[in-house]
Amino acid sequence: METTQKLEILSAAAKYDVSCSSSGSTRSNMPGGIGNAAKSGICHSFTEDGRCISLLKVLYTNYCIYDCAYCVNRRTNDVPRACFTVRELADITINFYRRNYIEGLFLSSGVVKNADYTMEQLVGVAKTLRLTYKFNGYIHLKAIPGASPELIKEAGLHADRLSVNIEIPSESNLKVLAPEKDYRSVLSPMSLIKVGIEQNKEERRHLRHAPLFTPAGQSTQLIIGATPDTDKQILSLASNLYHQNGLKRVYYSGYNPTNLYDSRLPALSAPPLRRENRLYQSDWLMRFYEFRVDEIVNDEHPELDLEIDPKLSYALRNPHLFPVDVNKADYHLLLRIPGIGVKSAKMIIAARGFRRLNSENLAKLGVVMKRARYFLTCNELTAATVQDLKPEYVRAILTSPVKKGRVPDAIQLNLW
Amino acid sequence: MLVYYYDGTFEGLLTSVFEAYERKEQPESILPPHASAGLFAHTHEVVTCAKKSERVWNGVKKIGGVLTCEHLYYTFLSQEEGFEMHFLRYCQHLFTCNRPVMKDLANADVLKVFQLSRKVGREAHRILMFLRFEQAADGTYFAPYAPKYDVIPLVTGHFRERFADQTWVVFDSVRNYGVMYDSKNDTVEKFTINDPAFDVETGKLQPDAEHPEEDNWQLLWRTYFKSMAITERKNLKLQRNFMPKRFWKYLTEKRI
Ligand code: SF4
Repeated sequence: METTQKLEILSAAAKYDVSCSSSGSTRSNMPGGIGNAAKSGICHSFTEDGRCISLLKVLYTNYCIYDCAYCVNRRTNDVPRACFTVRELADITINFYRRNYIEGLFLSSGVVKNADYTMEQLVGVAKTLRLTYKFNGYIHLKAIPGASPELIKEAGLHADRLSVNIEIPSESNLKVLAPEKDYRSVLSPMSLIKVGIEQNKEERRHLRHAPLFTPAGQSTQLIIGATPDTDKQILSLASNLYHQNGLKRVYYSGYNPTNLYDSRLPALSAPPLRRENRLYQSDWLMRFYEFRVDEIVNDEHPELDLEIDPKLSYALRNPHLFPVDVNKADYHLLLRIPGIGVKSAKMIIAARGFRRLNSENLAKLGVVMKRARYFLTCNELTAATVQDLKPEYVRAILTSPVKKGRVPDAIQLNLW
Repeated sequence: MLVYYYDGTFEGLLTSVFEAYERKEQPESILPPHASAGLFAHTHEVVTCAKKSERVWNGVKKIGGVLTCEHLYYTFLSQEEGFEMHFLRYCQHLFTCNRPVMKDLANADVLKVFQLSRKVGREAHRILMFLRFEQAADGTYFAPYAPKYDVIPLVTGHFRERFADQTWVVFDSVRNYGVMYDSKNDTVEKFTINDPAFDVETGKLQPDAEHPEEDNWQLLWRTYFKSMAITERKNLKLQRNFMPKRFWKYLTEKRI
């Protein structure tokens, strides 16, 4: 089979895997070598649906011995199949890299023969790139569940990031959709990688030139909407993975309806994109906005509000915290104001060391006043805040289709 | 109305800052050659002086540190109309306060300098994203580009570190100059060409100047690019937001 044809099949099969980030690693080039990993990652192109292309994201093969209900490549499906050779894939990677098309390789695979054989091929590609081509760009390998600890360790020596996909957010539901799989086969490589990373950190403290072990850490992916798991379950799992397993990223992938003939799957007509998006926003709140998971979802609110973002939703559920005084509040509290992001919160703290800030300053610093005005004060003539207006009303204003020029400062107060 | 004329160089601009102090006056605008000052302007010709510009620059470095220097230099690269006065007032504010003022973002000039330098920084980053090399018959990797600002000085370091084992050329087709990296000697050289061996409209090398395998890799890349798109979620506006159309003519995956 022609390389072009293989690439077509094996990239199409990988495109729904959402993790494409190339950030978080710093591998520098070596004399006579090619490539480095930029700390913040670089996108090189954008697909027609607006997603970043940073890595060559492909499967090594889409042949598979498993039969997971939610997967196009399950063995019982009749789809075109292909398989790269180690050399072929290393060549494509290096030639794409030299032309500045990509930051590196993201390699996953169906399982052929057995887990170890498959893992060996993936490690083989990484090794060829690192040792034969002296490639120092980014490599993300999928750890195949069930592969032997030795292979996982070897993978870690060549990859910047490893990931093992959990896919289904609860083990009981995994058992329904993929009876041949279990959580143990996913969690044990995960903890192996975690231990490897910790040991490596320790080693490098004493020995600066000790070889790197997955310097960009590990990540995983959860499929959303293929099972009845709630947002609370999903985000609690994610929060645990961040805090207990030291994961760098959890990715959420809206279930793309496939294998519709399988009655164990929900009858969706489209992937739940809105929900996926709200989960990512919540994930950001946990990682960059100092939110605890139970502040976002809890027993009372186990599902995310699809209509408004989780930060606004939090603010409206907790009106007693507002308005926040931007000239006094600490960073943590500034971050809770809808319309203020990490960047503008930092700028506010920097700028107020020079002078008191008024709302005009805030707008210039990038605060979205249209939103933020209900939740902050800067000791000017105060506009109506969430306290005066009530949460339901603020919600109505912020979700109603834009009525330009009719922002309800003066008009509405007398309604209550 | 008092107008300064300078020669359009960075040193010239720094000299203007110096002279405003020396002459104890505040110009109302600082203009590059050929800009029109208006009928009733009272003009002063600034003659670029290495000593004066160095004194200003050292002062900026001493008080503001490297980050302030970077902001001011990037602002200069922006070449946005009228940036000179913000530059001048920023320096004056810095010297008056006698401490870094970078964070005084509620000051209009500080904010402007911050924003302009961010724009230039973003453009430089986009070059790192969207530059595309083509291999020429002699093995050299060649990339034309057409940036909004003159950012070659800001991107060579990145490519030099990354593509240290290949000889490459980056060429600014708007300003008609480029840099060439020689991997054997690890040197970067500036050059201009009058008769480029590539098509300025598409960036493509002439067929006989191209490496025999080049088309094959380009075809593979286009195949990959196409197959990555999720057609059911097509959103061309979003794509253009991230990847503005002005970059498309030199993008391997976007040209026909
Ligand atoms: S093991 Fe992976 S590739 Fe194979 S069927 Fe399951 S999800 Fe699909």
